[in-house]
Amino acid sequence: MNSQTSAETRHDPTDVLIIGAGASGATAAKVLTESGLRVVALEKGPWRTRETFSGDELASINRYDLWPDPLLNPRTHRAGVDEPATTQLFCPVPQMVGGGTVHWQGWLPRFTEEDFRFHSVVGDVAGASLADWPISYAELEPYYTAVEWAFGVSGQAGANRYESFRSKGYPCPPMPMSRYAEKYHAGAAALGWNSFPTPQAALSQPFDGRPATVLSAFAQQHGDPSGTRSSALNVFVPQAVATGRYDLRPDSVVREITVDARGRATGAVYEDAEGRLHEQRADVVVLACGAVETARLMLLSRSAAHPHGLGNENDLVGRNVTFHEFSSAVATFDDPVYAWAGGGYVSASSFEFYGHDDSRGFAGGGHMATSGVGIPLPINWSLPDRPAWGAEAKRVDREFFNHSMAASMVVHDLPQHDNRVDLDDEVVDDWGMPVARITLTPHENDLAMGRFLIDRSAEILEAAGATSIQKVYPDRVTGNCSHQHGTTRMGNDPATSVLDRDCRLHTADNVFVVDGGSFPTGTGANPTLTIMANAWRVAERIAAGRDASSRR
Amino acid sequence: MNDTFLDPHQRATIAAAMARMIPTDDTPGAAEAGTIDFLDRYLSGTGHIYANPDGVGFEVLTGRRLWAWAQRLEVVRARYVAGVRALDDAAGRRGGRFVDLDPEAQDEVLREVERPEGREQEADAARAKVALYGAPVEAALQQTSAEVDLGFVPLLALHTRQGFYADPVYGGNRDHVGWKVIGFPGPASLAEVHQGRYTTIDYFAEDRTHPGTEGLS
Repeated sequence: MNSQTSAETRHDPTDVLIIGAGASGATAAKVLTESGLRVVALEKGPWRTRETFSGDELASINRYDLWPDPLLNPRTHRAGVDEPATTQLFCPVPQMVGGGTVHWQGWLPRFTEEDFRFHSVVGDVAGASLADWPISYAELEPYYTAVEWAFGVSGQAGANRYESFRSKGYPCPPMPMSRYAEKYHAGAAALGWNSFPTPQAALSQPFDGRPATVLSAFAQQHGDPSGTRSSALNVFVPQAVATGRYDLRPDSVVREITVDARGRATGAVYEDAEGRLHEQRADVVVLACGAVETARLMLLSRSAAHPHGLGNENDLVGRNVTFHEFSSAVATFDDPVYAWAGGGYVSASSFEFYGHDDSRGFAGGGHMATSGVGIPLPINWSLPDRPAWGAEAKRVDREFFNHSMAASMVVHDLPQHDNRVDLDDEVVDDWGMPVARITLTPHENDLAMGRFLIDRSAEILEAAGATSIQKVYPDRVTGNCSHQHGTTRMGNDPATSVLDRDCRLHTADNVFVVDGGSFPTGTGANPTLTIMANAWRVAERIAAGRDASSRR
Repeated sequence: MNDTFLDPHQRATIAAAMARMIPTDDTPGAAEAGTIDFLDRYLSGTGHIYANPDGVGFEVLTGRRLWAWAQRLEVVRARYVAGVRALDDAAGRRGGRFVDLDPEAQDEVLREVERPEGREQEADAARAKVALYGAPVEAALQQTSAEVDLGFVPLLALHTRQGFYADPVYGGNRDHVGWKVIGFPGPASLAEVHQGRYTTIDYFAEDRTHPGTEGLS
């Protein structure tokens, strides 16, 4: 399609065009606009305000009010290159201004120094395409601090024995201790393991003009009507808007990144809510759609200069994708734990088995933490062996809704060359564009780590006095974390990476990717703090580069 | 505005089946919560999909969202119409209509209709297993399954649960009976959450300070 000639509206060129206004795109927008640059942002979904959110479990979780609607935005998934793909909501993230941060409960651990040189630490693992990061923890540390202080993260410096160096403590003290966090601390302490209050994107006390959080039960997977949880939507977007240089256009679906004859980006063609095509030109293009959708857009953007998709000269765009996997040991207790209080994810964590240890027989480790059981609210709560209906189902609801909790973990799944995002050859979205197809086979290291971490989680529950424990081993990768990384990995060698160390495309020097696609390895911790810190770093580099070129 | 879809016989049949999904015992069940009202209103059209966040009225859907919900409702309506027929067919082999059977025989019929036969139901069972630790018919932790993919009985179980536990603004969970049965101290109304007044702080630990953080700065 030659959309450059079919656009009905051509907008005045801008300094920077950002595709996406979620965690990474909003962070970049804040930094770029505050540095004086003019930014146009195109966001596929709506721009919702906090007045549109409430305590509605049915709408938020069961009726796609926040999740992508699978009839409009499907994906396909297959378990290997020879398997047929089926349509499903694999690793969905809300598609709207604020992205996943709109409905998260915001666990914000930092990665560790070891994470950035994971390949060097663990060595080669057969079948895995491991790579060190081209940047170090020390380089990112100031940006971790910047995001934590912009957000008002609630946590306790020094409480995580395994945390790497930090230049500054947390701006807010830890969240109040939930009963499920209390159990988790007790179990870990009995085993001699370190545990700590999970750093959280919510305000334990008033911060920066915002009041302390009310601790509603409708938090995880709900939008926040109170403005007391911290998100891209209620922190970075307003800060960017306040500069007067952020032109954020919601309901704008990008069809392709346009390029010139040399392969440099010229801008994007997008469709508005009424189906009209627009063209927006820019000096710099920043991709911030999340690792799956950014890879998809690059693959959709074929041109004479990039015949296999933007930046895809080496067939690497979409490959090495990692998704984590979240699973739990689930326990019941005699005394009530109310593991829906605060939303079920006001938690305690442990990095006791986060770092690599050769003696365990697998590479790496993961973040362990307590939570409610799944979505621990009335409609969606359950226990693994609860029947779907009948008197027994009702008995389980009644006896255990207030008396159950989980000890959960994040699997650090290893990147593999054949695990990838590409374009489905049959299924299209409601805009007529081929959807992302996920091809994913878990590595045996992923499965071994998952079983090990679930066993340790069960031991914590047992030590805390649980009356029953069920282990749910993550023997499949379902994409249930909504974490996604690796599809445009950064590196110093253009033959083995898509982006350079500043997250600039090796083959188009005015295109940057700021979402989790840049991560060479997925690590075992929740990624969004690092995504935002890295987006902040890259945005500063973009702004510095513009300064240098304008002085010339 | 007409907010029903089922005819009187369909409505009575589904209400009876819902009473087997969440039976009444010494505590209220689906019948007392009005789950049939929840369902019938849902099936009636696209006017009751999303309550307004302040709990007053419902969102008027337009554009792509309207189209998607109209598609989905068509599939779900057809599944209920066929489901009532399947219940009566199976009941007929026991000498009556579903509504005429005693509760034990109704359970047998439901299990018979639920029983996997053919590829579609096998896929159903597989999906149920995917539910790692969420509700058996609702995909697990961070994801929702597409209800259009569910067979009749799993769909009925899901909707009964929704009608029992969803905010009363949707027509079920009458007088919060569902929440009372399990001891969930939900908000008085959506408005309480919307205005930022709803808190669960009373259900946190008595000592709200995490151990090991006292001496740190």
